Amino acid sequence: MKGKLEPSERQKLIEEGKNLKEALTTLEEDLVKLRDELQIEAQCIPNLTHPDVPIGWEDSSKLRNMVGSPRKFDFPIKDHLQIGKELDLFDFDAAAEVSGSKFYYLKNEAVMLEMALVNWTLTEVMKRGFTPLTTPEIVRSSVVEKCGFQPRGENTQVYSIEDSDQCLIGTAEIPVGGIHMDSIVAESALPLKYVAFSHCFRTEAGAAGTATRGLYRVHQFSKVEMFILCRQEESDMYHEELIKIEEDLFSSLGLHFKILDMATGDLGAPAYRKFDVEAWMPGLERYGEISSASNCTDYQSRRLGIRYRPSESPSTTSKKGKTNLAATKFVHTLNATACAIPRMLVCLLENFQQEDGSVIIPHPLRPFMGGVEAIYPKSR
Amino acid sequence: MALQCRLSGATFQSLKLATIPISSSSSRFIFRTLPKTLNLALFSRHSAPKAPPFSVLIRNLSAPAVAAAPAAETSDIKVVKPQWNAAIDFKWIRDNKEAVAVNIKNRNSNANLELVLQLYDKMLNLQKEVERLRGERNNVANKMKGKLEPSERQKLIEEGKNLKEALTTLEEDLVKLRDELQIEAQCIPNLTHPDVPIGWEDSSKLRNMVGSPRKFDFPIKDHLQIGKELDLFDFDAAAEVSGSKFYYLKNEAVMLEMALVNWTLTEVMKRGFTPLTTPEIVRSSVVEKCGFQPRGENTQVYSIEDSDQCLIGTAEIPVGGIHMDSIVAESALPLKYVAFSHCFRTEAGAAGTATRGLYRVHQFSKVEMFILCRQEESDMYHEELIKIEEDLFSSLGLHFKILDMATGDLGAPAYRKFDVEAWMPGLERYGEISSASNCTDYQSRRLGIRYRPSESPSTTSKKGKTNLAATKFVHTLNATACAIPRMLVCLLENFQQEDGSVIIPHPLRPFMGGVEAIYPKSR
Repeated sequence: MKGKLEPSERQKLIEEGKNLKEALTTLEEDLVKLRDELQIEAQCIPNLTHPDVPIGWEDSSKLRNMVGSPRKFDFPIKDHLQIGKELDLFDFDAAAEVSGSKFYYLKNEAVMLEMALVNWTLTEVMKRGFTPLTTPEIVRSSVVEKCGFQPRGENTQVYSIEDSDQCLIGTAEIPVGGIHMDSIVAESALPLKYVAFSHCFRTEAGAAGTATRGLYRVHQFSKVEMFILCRQEESDMYHEELIKIEEDLFSSLGLHFKILDMATGDLGAPAYRKFDVEAWMPGLERYGEISSASNCTDYQSRRLGIRYRPSESPSTTSKKGKTNLAATKFVHTLNATACAIPRMLVCLLENFQQEDGSVIIPHPLRPFMGGVEAIYPKSR
Repeated sequence: MALQCRLSGATFQSLKLATIPISSSSSRFIFRTLPKTLNLALFSRHSAPKAPPFSVLIRNLSAPAVAAAPAAETSDIKVVKPQWNAAIDFKWIRDNKEAVAVNIKNRNSNANLELVLQLYDKMLNLQKEVERLRGERNNVANKMKGKLEPSERQKLIEEGKNLKEALTTLEEDLVKLRDELQIEAQCIPNLTHPDVPIGWEDSSKLRNMVGSPRKFDFPIKDHLQIGKELDLFDFDAAAEVSGSKFYYLKNEAVMLEMALVNWTLTEVMKRGFTPLTTPEIVRSSVVEKCGFQPRGENTQVYSIEDSDQCLIGTAEIPVGGIHMDSIVAESALPLKYVAFSHCFRTEAGAAGTATRGLYRVHQFSKVEMFILCRQEESDMYHEELIKIEEDLFSSLGLHFKILDMATGDLGAPAYRKFDVEAWMPGLERYGEISSASNCTDYQSRRLGIRYRPSESPSTTSKKGKTNLAATKFVHTLNATACAIPRMLVCLLENFQQEDGSVIIPHPLRPFMGGVEAIYPKSR
C-alpha cells in the first residue's frame, strides 16, 4: 500500500488488510490460549531421572551406605515421648489446647539442645564454604509452585495466609531458591552454596494414621538446610558433596543410619536423584528419615528463571568488534537437610538414654550448650 | 468506614401467668474503626475503639450491606454468642463505677460503662425473676403430689405448663442478656497503676536514662548502608520472594542473631526463668484472650486460610495459653518463663511511619519473658523485669531511656507499661527496643488462670473436710528480653567504626565463636 495505486485497488487492499488483521487477532488469542494449555500440561512432566536410580516404589530403594550399628541396651528403653515427659522436656498437651494436635513446646534442656544443634550445624557447614542465611517464612505462592510444590492441591502440605497470595514455607529450600529468581548469574559466581536456618510449617494433611507420635511428625519445626546453585556439569558432584556432609554431621553425633538411593516412585517431581538418610530410632524400633538430599538439575531453575552466562572465549569477537555473549544456560539446583531438629531430638534422646533416666549429650554439641554433658532427671 | 459498637437495651416485661410477649432483641451492630494515629510502639494493642472479637460479627462487616451509611440502622442483626467468656467481676465494676469511668476516659477507650451497668442491672433483675418463677413451679409440683380433685389437678397442670413456657423464654432471654453483657464488658480496659501519667505519648514519664549518645568523629551510616557494605542483609530479593518488609540475614548477621538469642536466653535463665520454644500458630481465641484483635480492621495478626488459627505476633500469646483454664498451686508461683520464637506482624496501618530496613518488619526473632504470680507481687515482678532489661541492654553497651507510658498509650490489657527506647544514631533518634507490661488479672480472667491460696488448718469443718480456699486470678506480666531486628539496628549503628567495620560487644563474642568484629569483605 506504500506504492502508487488506483483508488479501487487501494480499497481492495484496505479490505484485505482488515480481514487479515481480524484473522490474526483471533489466531493470536488462540495461540495464547494454546500456549497456556501447553504450559499447564507440560509443567506436570516430572524431571528426568539419573540412570542409576532404581525403578519402583519405596521397597525398591537401594542401600548406598550404612554407618554404625544399633546400640545394644542392657536395660528396658523408653521412647522419646516418655523420656521427654520424665525429664520435663516438652509439652504436647498444653500445645494441643493452644494450637491443636502436632504442636508442642520445648522446655528446659530441650531448648538448649535445639540451639546447640542449630549453632553447631551452621558452624560445621559454614566451614565447608556455605554462606549462612536466615530467610522469610512467608512467601508468595508462585515461588512455592516454582520450586515444585503444590500450595493449593488437595492434601497440600502448605499453609496459606488468608486474603493474600502468601504461604508459609515448608522448607528453606523455597525462599533460598527464590533469591536468584529471574536473574542471570555470572558463571564465575558459581557454585553458590547457602546454608539456611528457618522455621518450617507443614499441614501434614493426608498423614493421618501414619507414625504421628510425638516429635516424629509435627506442624512446625526448626531446620538447617543446604542449597547449592551450580553449573550443569557439576550437579552430580555436588550431590555427592552434600550427602558426604550429611554423613559427616550425623556420624559426629554418634548416630547409626543408612543412606538410601530413592526409587523412581518416591522421587517427587523436581528431583533427578534423591538420597534419604534414615537413622535408627530405638524407642520407635525402626529407622526414621532424618534427612533428604536432592539434585533437582534444571527443574526448579527453569521455573524460577535462574540462568548463568558461561564465560566467553576471546575468539568469539565478531567483525564489528562486538563480543558475542554466550547463550545462557539454566543453573542446576540441589538441596539437602543439614539438621531437622525434632527428628534429631528423637534420635539423640532415644539413642543416648541411660539406665538412670539421664541422656548423654554428644561431645560436639557440648560447647554449644555451655559445656553441659548430660540431661539429668530433676529432683521433685 | 466509621462504625459504632452499640447495643440497644432489650426490654423485658415482668412476667404474668399469661403468655408474655418478649421484644426481640433488635440490636444494631456497627463497628468503630481503629485509630489511624500511628504508634511507633513495637507492640501496639488497639486500646481505644475495639470491635467485638466475634468472627460472626466480622463476617457481617465484610458483607456489602453492612458497609452502608455509618449512622444508619442496619436490619435486625441478632446478638451473637461470644466464643468464650471472660470472668469479669461485674459487681466490683458496679461498686467502683466512678473509678472505672475515669479510667476509661483516661485511656481514651470507648467502652460503654453505662450500658454495662444497665445490662448488669437488668440481668440481676431477670435472674431474680427466673428464681421466683422456679420457686412457683416447685410449689405447683409439690402441690401436685398430694390428693387432689380432678379439676384442681387440671388447673395445676395448666399453671405448671404456663410457668414452664414462661421460664423457658426468660431463661433464653437471660442467656442473651449475659452474652450482651459479656460483649460490652470485655471492652473495658484494665485498671491503671496510680503512678501512671495521664495523657498521650508526650505525657510518658522518664524513669531512668542509661549511658549517653556516643560521639562520632567521622560521618556515620545507618544500619541499611552498613548492612549493604558488609553484605549482611538482602531486602531486594526478599521483596521479590515475599513482599516488602521481609529480609534475609546473611553472614555475620546470622551469627549475631544466634549469639543474641543464645546469650539472652542464658542470661535470663540464670535469673530463674524456664526456657521455652513455642508454637507460632495458635487458635484465634487464645490471641483474643491475651487482649489482641485478630480480626479487627488494621489487625496486626496474620490468619491462616480455612481455619481458626493465626500466626503469633509475640510469644506472650502461646506462653499465656500454657496454663489456660487451670488452677495453679500457690506454691508453684511465681512461674517464670523465657520463650524464644519467631513473630509475625502485618504492620497494617503503619504505612508512612519509619519503615526503613529492620526497624519495622513482618517477621522477626524475639526472646520474651513471661511471669505468672500472686496478685500482691505483680508490682514487684514488674520492677524485676525492667531491671533485667536494664541489665541486658547495659551489658551490650547501649544508651537508652526507660519510660513509664501514659494512659493513652497503654493498650487494654496493661495496668502499667515501661518502654525502653535505645539511641539509634543512624536514624538520629530513640527507637523502642523493648516493652514490659504488668497485665494484672486482665489476661488471666480471659485465659482462666487461677491459683488456690494455701489453706490454714483451722478451716477444717466439723465433718473433717478441709474447706478449700477460694481461688484467685493470677497476675501476668510480659517483657521483651531481646527483639532481634531492632537490636541489630542498635548494634550496627552504635558500634560502627571509621573503617567500615562493626565491633561486637564483649558478652556476645563467646556465642559467636570468639569473633570480635565484622570486617568489610575484600571484593
